[in-house]
Amino acid sequence: MSKQANLDPRNFKPAIVYTIYIAAPPEKVWEALTTAEFSRQYFSGHAVEVDQRIGGAFIMRTPDGALHISGEVIECEPPRKLTVTFNVNWPALVERLGPTLVTYTIEPAGDVVKLTMLQSHDRDISDDILSGGCAGWPAILSSLKSLLETGQTLAIKMQPPERMLAALKEMGIGTP
Amino acid sequence: MDEVFKALADASRRSLLDRLHAKNGQTLNELCDGLAMTRQAVTKHLGILEAANLVTTLRHGREKLHYLNPVPIHQIGERWIKKFERGKLVALSELKRQLEKRDE
Repeated sequence: MSKQANLDPRNFKPAIVYTIYIAAPPEKVWEALTTAEFSRQYFSGHAVEVDQRIGGAFIMRTPDGALHISGEVIECEPPRKLTVTFNVNWPALVERLGPTLVTYTIEPAGDVVKLTMLQSHDRDISDDILSGGCAGWPAILSSLKSLLETGQTLAIKMQPPERMLAALKEMGIGTP
Repeated sequence: MDEVFKALADASRRSLLDRLHAKNGQTLNELCDGLAMTRQAVTKHLGILEAANLVTTLRHGREKLHYLNPVPIHQIGERWIKKFERGKLVALSELKRQLEKRDE
């Protein structure tokens, strides 16, 4: 049986879709999405590690080195498309919410690139739970754009939204 | 950024964004449902919103879904709202929301 038997991206419906145009080559955007050196600067100090092959590990560590996201590479077409399972490492989260897929697509658009980020789920997820991604991704993507275009990141202090933490707690999901 | 402001300077287009904010990922048919706008007008407005990067469309199976893309609005916020003001603005909005809720 294939490792991704239950993880056909076609069974996942995007819940959050964000698009940003970045004045940088596709290869540079890909590098920024897949290396810790960059991610630490725009992803609230988190370090990404990707084994760039189907079935390879995708992980993200908090600034203190703790495992925050653990996942697997589902689609990998450098420098155009990366799909990974993006499971937050909070107790019982995957059991209750199912897996989360994150897809990045990088398309040339004239002299710039169009970066689209999808957060997809295989079931309906409440707005309260989605509020975390809705709050976080625009800041992360804006900071990534700023870093690649100007070398400066945006100092955005991010906290998980209260409504998301309350909804997770209600579902019996542990939060830090 | 001009395109974003032009796209937002129209009540019909803002109402389409409101509908996507209430329910993200709708088809053209769903978006037209219950609106006093022709399908043609909705299509035109969605085109302007998409050109301004306020709406992103995506193929999902046979459907074309429309998603609200708040990234340009976030960038406008980053441009004019100072870091230390953010907490105070959130508190003020929350105060307004709470006070107005009581009047309902």
